[in-house]
Amino acid sequence: MVSPRVLRNLKREFRQSALAKTGLVLVLLVLGVAVFAPFVAPHDPTEQNLDNRRQPPLGFSRTTESTSSQMVNGSIEMVTETTYVNASATHPLGTDPLGRDMLSRVIYGARTSLLVGILGTLLAALLGVGVGLTAGYRRGYTDDGLMRFADVSLAFPSLVLAIALIGLWGRAAVPIPDPWVVMGLAPGMPKTFTLPGTVIVVVGLVNWVWFARVARGEALSIREEEYVKAARAIGASDWRIILRHVLPNAATPILVLGTIQIAAIILLESALSFLGFSGTTLSWGFDISQGRDYLASSWWISTVPGLAIVIAVVGINLLGDLLRDALDPGFEGEGGV
Amino acid sequence: MALGRFLVRRILQGLLVVWGVITVVFLLRFVTPGSPIDAVAPLDATQETRAAIAAELGLDQPLHVQYGQYLFDLLRGDMGFSYIKGQDVAGLVFLKVPATVELAVAATVVAIVLSIPLGVISATRRNEPVDYGATLFSLGGISTPNFWLGIMMILVLAVQFGIFHTSGRGVDFGDVVLSTVNSDPFFGTLVGWLRFITLPAIALGTYFTALITRLTRSGMLDQLGQSYVVAARAKGLPESLVRYKHALRNTLVPVVTVLGLQLGSLIGGAVITEAVFSWPGLGTLVIQSINVRDWPTLQGCLIVIGVSFVIVNIVVDLLYASLDPRVVYD
Repeated sequence: MVSPRVLRNLKREFRQSALAKTGLVLVLLVLGVAVFAPFVAPHDPTEQNLDNRRQPPLGFSRTTESTSSQMVNGSIEMVTETTYVNASATHPLGTDPLGRDMLSRVIYGARTSLLVGILGTLLAALLGVGVGLTAGYRRGYTDDGLMRFADVSLAFPSLVLAIALIGLWGRAAVPIPDPWVVMGLAPGMPKTFTLPGTVIVVVGLVNWVWFARVARGEALSIREEEYVKAARAIGASDWRIILRHVLPNAATPILVLGTIQIAAIILLESALSFLGFSGTTLSWGFDISQGRDYLASSWWISTVPGLAIVIAVVGINLLGDLLRDALDPGFEGEGGV
Repeated sequence: MALGRFLVRRILQGLLVVWGVITVVFLLRFVTPGSPIDAVAPLDATQETRAAIAAELGLDQPLHVQYGQYLFDLLRGDMGFSYIKGQDVAGLVFLKVPATVELAVAATVVAIVLSIPLGVISATRRNEPVDYGATLFSLGGISTPNFWLGIMMILVLAVQFGIFHTSGRGVDFGDVVLSTVNSDPFFGTLVGWLRFITLPAIALGTYFTALITRLTRSGMLDQLGQSYVVAARAKGLPESLVRYKHALRNTLVPVVTVLGLQLGSLIGGAVITEAVFSWPGLGTLVIQSINVRDWPTLQGCLIVIGVSFVIVNIVVDLLYASLDPRVVYD
């Protein structure tokens, strides 16, 4: 699949690049937090505490003004009282409008983002690579037909098509048991985790076309290679040639695209849940939208989950850059000014 | 003439895609749970009433007849009727187009004006602080959700400092143009317009600024290593001419390709940017019509978006000719 030359380049690039190392650290951080969420999160992310709404993060305080009518010197007057809401170590990143712990929500949000990002990318890759390799290898009418269909898909922006499809199909939510809690290792944490099923299917459906384009381009050139001609000469079937010869040789560019697509789909998922088109409320995009109504008094509700998105996506993009640079070693040497 | 033939071919291809777009949008109605009759009929409607409504809407006809009717209506500019809004869809949709176009153009202008010089400077001063700055900026730009960036700018620049409006489109570009001829103060109108459009344009444009900066930087690095650049320098051309006339021009070809492909993200980004800034454009209409299950309006929006994507991509293809005369139109 991946040649030793590519692996060598990968190692060399990685050693030389501080950005690539940063990327790996960020991705491992987000991945670790997502996998071990019940252990890392200090609270149940869905547990509400209405006495403790919109508590600021450590190091900040929030003032609220409440006006009430009181008896002052025998007459009723309106009195404005300013109260300070202080931070507490129980909720280091503060709480949301329902008093839920922001840190725990951000930690669990990583699960939603990564699961949608990875499963959505896999679905898109499965569809796109299948279509692209077939179109590129068969050429002719199959190619024309499939690629015109790809053109039609491209004419709809992913976000627009995604919200249209979710609007039509509804917001299916699939509860999956949390293995750590089922095993009894993390008592007190939510037993199930909600997977936004429709969102995963839809982001896969709207992003297949990028994989199809890349796979087709690769297949077009690979089909002219000697080993493919040899396979054809000994009577191998088209399917066998596509799966055994074309696919492995097209794997590396598809891998690079896949990495970038995970980042793109995480951004798409956050946009969908921001707009309310998701099956779960345990998502970074949803929390950003929760905070919009409280921007003037409680800035952290929108700010914190957004930073989490940036951290995850920067990390993945840095790894994508590393893969691309390792694949295209000639690039570094050129243009030295 | 090759260009003329290419244009005809490209337009025919575009029409094919437009036809595909319309077909997909038409079929969307049939993957919807529930029937369009539900949107019109009262809850306690009798079977006869429902049948009468179906006949009225043409829903009792076979699929291919409905499809033919749909195509025929579209050709006449009739996109159907929104029962929820009680208006013609075409009027509803086209009323929203200018706001979205204004936002998209403003974002593109922001992106091009900032990114190309930044990319060139970054490539020519490689590994200097300005290059690192540009690299970090472009990495951050492609990794930041534009709606969150918009909210952060609202938080700081609108809520805290009150420099810009938090939302809406109180003054449009037409007002600015008109103020040069009518009695409105030009400068005041311009500032008023800028206070509305600046934040949404930056929110929408940042991703593209970052993307084009990256592409320009890597393309310039690639070009500056080519032998024609060495030749141009050897014959004594000033460095600025080498960079901007020769190298940049060749860099722009792939940049334009990517821009054409990413146009979908621009429109998609506009949808969510509009949602953040309550910008009264197509995106707001799309989300509204989904939330109230107003399918005819949604279909109209999708067709307008799809068709504009096709048109802009034909224009992008033609741009190649002016950038790179070597492009062969076959």
